[in-house]
Amino acid sequence: MNDSEKLQRLKELLLDEDRDFAQKILHKLESLDQTIQTPEKLSEKVNPIIDKKLDVFVEEIPTKLGPTIADALTKSQDKVVEALFPIIGKMIKKYIQQEINQLTEKINSQVQDTFSIQKWQRKIKAFFSGVSEQEIILSEINKAKLEQIFVIEKGSGLLIASASNSESIDEDMIAGMLTAIKSFVEDAFINGQQSLESIQYELSEIYIQNFTSYYIAVVISGELNTSVKNELENKLFDFAQKNPISETTTKEELSLQLKTLLANE
Amino acid sequence: MNNSKKIVLIGHFGVGKSSLVRRYVQNTFTDNYMVTIGVHIVKKEIQLNQKSITLIIWDIEGKDDIKKVRASYLIGTSGFIYVVDPTRPQTYEHITSEINFITTQYPKAKYLTVANKSDLIEPEEIKRLFDSLQIKIDYFASAKSGDEVSSVFENLAQQLLDNV
Ligand SMILES: Nc1nc2c(ncn2[C@@H]2O[C@H](COP(=O)(O)OP(=O)(O)OP(=O)(O)O)[C@@H](O)[C@H]2O)c(=O)[nH]1
Ligand SMILES: [Mg+2]
Repeated sequence: MNDSEKLQRLKELLLDEDRDFAQKILHKLESLDQTIQTPEKLSEKVNPIIDKKLDVFVEEIPTKLGPTIADALTKSQDKVVEALFPIIGKMIKKYIQQEINQLTEKINSQVQDTFSIQKWQRKIKAFFSGVSEQEIILSEINKAKLEQIFVIEKGSGLLIASASNSESIDEDMIAGMLTAIKSFVEDAFINGQQSLESIQYELSEIYIQNFTSYYIAVVISGELNTSVKNELENKLFDFAQKNPISETTTKEELSLQLKTLLANE
Repeated sequence: MNNSKKIVLIGHFGVGKSSLVRRYVQNTFTDNYMVTIGVHIVKKEIQLNQKSITLIIWDIEGKDDIKKVRASYLIGTSGFIYVVDPTRPQTYEHITSEINFITTQYPKAKYLTVANKSDLIEPEEIKRLFDSLQIKIDYFASAKSGDEVSSVFENLAQQLLDNV
């Protein structure tokens, strides 16, 4: 190979194969993304699993728990749902994460060579565009920060507990207004079937995670990307599981737990 | 859990719900009519016989029919204040069925009925009016003069404290 042939080959390597691979990956990601983003498609995948678990659960109730407890369970459905909600949520998330991991692994093993070429490509690009590495790194760390967190009773909108990194306006009033806005949006625009997931304003976002009798609202500054969201969801599910809310829950106690949650960011 | 309670003011447009809240929380009054859109939420912490209670007051937009009020505004309410304007009969003609609606939909909640703008009519005359119609009004208040306004909220708060 002479020099110009080598150059030609390099070009091909850099652009063509790479593009094909990238396209394939993109397709896979798109279809996965669609599955995750479209409730019907997601439930198609996830429902069988839940159903199966539920079947097993239901089958086991009489043998494991005995009829009296099964009876008690049906009588206090709300409480049961409250207890199961974080667990089921986690199960679904685990399943999706598993799928994504598998896909990533597959892609990784297939395209290791390509990736090394991409790395070179990136370096070349960086060299010609004159963007410093530091700048690139900086742009990647507009990291999301949890500013405030509220646990709010559904319906009444009463504040159950809250924690904040900065002094803020009255939490009780925020809790009420958030609840009013949330229920307004839910019955005006999304038919009351689904629930509001987030409210965005300027540089912050209020992320909302629903539980049966209450919801948790988190004020976040910075960029809330999928992986951060994911991590946050896990934390909230964990929190809900570890801190069951009942008549005896005190505001102080729960707020303290929320503070640790914020501090561990 | 904690001693915050949700209180909701209901009644027709312009009966003075916002004015009563403003008088109670800020001790001010204005003749300008600013229609409430959606809901406005304020809070007031009070002490009654050494017990403290926080009222989260939902001042919602007026509706001529309580069934048209967004259910989400009413859910979880501990105390309702039903406000009428004695100078406008249409604001109290259906009060009985409206109160019925509240007591059946929200059986655990307390409620009070208030005739506002009592500064516009002779007290004796208002009383005679509602007696003749067999309508039970708990308070004759005036957001303008401030008369009886805090009694309304404190009476309701006391009922909520007694409830626990
Ligand atoms: N004279 C007199 N006027 C009053 C009194 N209370 C309210 N008003 C007047 O009545 C009008 C309506 O008062 P609002 O408090 O805005 O009535 P609202 O019930 O909140 O009305 P919506 O928000 O539309 O449902 C205003 O012009 C007030 O100034 C009162 O006690 N006496
Ligand atoms: Mg008003």
